[in-house]
Amino acid sequence: MLSEYWLAELDAATEAQVEEHLLGCGACSRELEELAALVTCMRQLVRQGAVHTVVPNAFVRRLAEQGLRVREYNVPHNGSVNCTVAPGDDVVVAHLQAPLQGIERLDLVEGEARERLYDIPFNAKHGEVVVTPRVEDLRKLPASTHRMRLVAVDASGERVIGEYTFNHTPYSGQSSAT
Amino acid sequence: MPYASRMPEHSAETALDDATLARRIAQTAPGIDSTAEAELCRRLAPRVRLYGLKHLRNESAAADLVQQVLLTTLQRLRAGRLREPGQIASYVLGTCRMVVLDLRRGHARRERLLETYGEGLAPADAPEPLAFDSARLRLCLERLSVRECTVLIMSFYDDMPSEEVGSELGLTAANIRVIRHRGLERLRDCVTGKGLP
Repeated sequence: MLSEYWLAELDAATEAQVEEHLLGCGACSRELEELAALVTCMRQLVRQGAVHTVVPNAFVRRLAEQGLRVREYNVPHNGSVNCTVAPGDDVVVAHLQAPLQGIERLDLVEGEARERLYDIPFNAKHGEVVVTPRVEDLRKLPASTHRMRLVAVDASGERVIGEYTFNHTPYSGQSSAT
Repeated sequence: MPYASRMPEHSAETALDDATLARRIAQTAPGIDSTAEAELCRRLAPRVRLYGLKHLRNESAAADLVQQVLLTTLQRLRAGRLREPGQIASYVLGTCRMVVLDLRRGHARRERLLETYGEGLAPADAPEPLAFDSARLRLCLERLSVRECTVLIMSFYDDMPSEEVGSELGLTAANIRVIRHRGLERLRDCVTGKGLP
């Protein structure tokens, strides 16, 4: 109920009831305070490019509109990019182009250690998966090659639907995102 | 000095409910029951701040709201103009609504009130907001399923309702609410230590 209240999803009458209760109830207002603090901290982490996850492109566009420096790489289906992270970058994004129509479940497998993100969210209409790696981790990388794979999973098993190669070099002052 | 720091944490007043404190303030007038006022302000300040954050989405505007609502409430109680001090939450909600409208219009009632009633009536400073350890929250976010993490970030970064999050992710609003609810529960457990050693 508190998250619905915070996100303005309640009708006016219910919202008024919740507000009157919150103004008179220390325990519930502390719960809301905890939610507000979580939200504040979560926003800071996003602005620092500190969360490794998958987001829609519309979300990336909003970050850029809000003035964050977003470094974006468009990686063709089964293709590769040369990439880096500059000192002023807030967020780094990889757009993995992929044929997503008809796919039920999609996993993202990363690196040689095959770290796997299960059942990632995607919108088949968009034809891409947008990954945000942790900027702090990228800054520590030496010149190196990294791979990501998109794996479709259904009742008949799994199959790789796209492989992506990232040729990373530490920032030299001369690089551009694609 | 702010009321919040004048008030010992475990005074007799902390055991009283809000309505009793409000009645005490009203009944003491024209005298001043400073301990009851301090305790009432200590309780109401964080609640009013949250109302402000929800409706104004701005920390300093929320702090202004706290000052103005508490000033108005104390002024009303002291003047004996609150007909039912037992309904203090209802009165504070009404005042919050009016002041938010005022703040949105850019009016500065705060200065007028301070000018009229001076520092003697100045209530609590803006309460210190609760804060989480961001390193721990990051770990906890990454321990959620990717769907939960994405839905929480999209929902709360821009205060986006479930319909909009759903349309961007190709999911129904109901589905988003379920994922959001489950993700938030797991995140809370993790940051408070129930789900992460």
